[in-house]
Amino acid sequence: MKKVVLFMALLILVTAFLNAETKLKMEIWNRWTYKTSDGEVEKNEFAVKRGYFRLEPKFGNNIKGRFNVDFFSDDGADDGVGLKMKYAYLDFSNLLPIKDSKLTIGLMKTYFGTIYDWDYTTIEKDPSDLYKFVSSTDYGLGISGYLPNGFGTYAVCAYNGEGYKNTGSKINYGINPLVNLRLIPVTGVTIGGSYMLKTEGKSEIEEGGEMVDNPDREEYSQMAGVGKFAFGPAYVLAQYLMKETDMPNMDDFEKFTETVISAMGVFKVNSKLDIVARYDIYDPDTDVDDDGKNLIIGGVNYHIMRDSKNAPKLFLQLNFEQLSYECDDYESETQILAQLRWIFSETMK
Amino acid sequence: MRKIITIIALLALIVVPVFAKRGNKITIAGSTTVLPIAQACAESYMDMHPDVNISVRGGGSSVGIANIIAGTVDIGDASRHIKSKELTQARENGINPYENVVANDGIAVVVHFNNTMNALTLSQLKDIFTGTVQNWKDVGGPNMPIVVVSRDVSSGTFEVFNSKVLQNAKGADGSLMLASNNAVATTVGQTPGAIGYIGLGYMTDELKALTIDGVMPSKKTIQTKEYPISRTLHMYTNGSPKGLVKGFIDFVLSSEGQQIVEEQGFISVD
Repeated sequence: MKKVVLFMALLILVTAFLNAETKLKMEIWNRWTYKTSDGEVEKNEFAVKRGYFRLEPKFGNNIKGRFNVDFFSDDGADDGVGLKMKYAYLDFSNLLPIKDSKLTIGLMKTYFGTIYDWDYTTIEKDPSDLYKFVSSTDYGLGISGYLPNGFGTYAVCAYNGEGYKNTGSKINYGINPLVNLRLIPVTGVTIGGSYMLKTEGKSEIEEGGEMVDNPDREEYSQMAGVGKFAFGPAYVLAQYLMKETDMPNMDDFEKFTETVISAMGVFKVNSKLDIVARYDIYDPDTDVDDDGKNLIIGGVNYHIMRDSKNAPKLFLQLNFEQLSYECDDYESETQILAQLRWIFSETMK
Repeated sequence: MRKIITIIALLALIVVPVFAKRGNKITIAGSTTVLPIAQACAESYMDMHPDVNISVRGGGSSVGIANIIAGTVDIGDASRHIKSKELTQARENGINPYENVVANDGIAVVVHFNNTMNALTLSQLKDIFTGTVQNWKDVGGPNMPIVVVSRDVSSGTFEVFNSKVLQNAKGADGSLMLASNNAVATTVGQTPGAIGYIGLGYMTDELKALTIDGVMPSKKTIQTKEYPISRTLHMYTNGSPKGLVKGFIDFVLSSEGQQIVEEQGFISVD
């Protein structure tokens, strides 16, 4: 049913946007994954991991929209293909008396850490996404914009908090605030951070005809620190993520804290070839020893075609990943991934 | 030991070409308005310096600035100022866009030579380009449908016109969005009911420039900013120009270079 609704929404949008300047964009990820653990082959598969179809209508210069659906072939959907709505938002610029700002409403980017501008330089997801700190998009509204003279960006938003995948009982009831600031004090040096308060479940539920505290209520306090250093053909991106989980209505629950330290280096050998390396350290509970895992990624991106603005159009990604556990009970996992990404777009006027 | 030497040798093979000197070559891309200035100056400069090779291509101001941000050209031509988003991206990538103003220009509003119209106000111009007015008779002209010819959105000329005339209002439905000044000039010159806008340097005998708010685009009215749709033209570099690129920019800004600017129909920055 959800797919039918989405398909109808797509048709309506296409029809509605015929009179507006609309950019159509499609991005496909064809991926081969070969995964082994303890000498055993766990995965050896081809899949269309992503098929982003995007419409960006422009209703004049002050109102723009983005509607994005994500097709995928390998998530165990009954009919062999899945479909998710990823973006459905409107940007209103020049509405507020703040230069270079915009108001966004709808299913929009989550301005946390680097998840909102992660371009998959590694095939692996952004750390906030991979370790499930936040969803890449969520329902909400926010103000974002640019600081004067290229000194950075900011965002202040309020989200539902459940992301774009959850349905039914996982739908949130509270407003989750977020602030994000990135500063570029010196050309090539970016520092910034995000803070988000998140809740799941109602604070009170009805029990025996009266309202009582909901024992399943969860509260999260999350922060991200980001640093990027670009010099010549190389850059290093470092992140520190922290998430504190509490269940305030459960008496014997002890708060715990998750952390991620991630560092990624990229070296652009020439216009065709990038070399990339990444190292993540994930600690699911800072009070518990030997429960963490480390991820090492090494790879190359080979750009076969770029557009006139030097943006990738067709490129091949090859990544080697090794996931190791601090606990000796678990065997390390190794993955080799090859991915062909192709992107095409057209503007209808 | 042999392995270490092999790894170092392989790394050197990869890294050395990145830092290797690119020879006496300058690459330029971007605005189609600035293109004739860049081409003519490049030809003269290469005549004077046969050892220097300058490659020039168009694409639009957005393309010029995007390639400066990506570090893939030495000079990004733009007929508009860099935007906040572009400046932020550039600084984040370790690029410091430096604006070299190389010429002044007016955006001439042009109609077919046989059109009896001679003048419009900025307000009338906005009404035409937003589709509010669709027949010349509504602005004092002949009973003839107006064909609106505009520029594509990656064009700096479009950005300036959009900001100064349309004030960011949505353009008329059905207007032709063309990729270059030449294309606009040709289309308007061949279409009796057409109206378009081009850099002053692209005026041809088939076109008639209209006065806007009573002011005709000319060297004097553009230099004094009396003409309402005037602008500066730019060559962006990463930081203040150095070495070979500085030599070329200095030439464009020299009296000889500025004479070329005038010969191409633009206004010098003197």
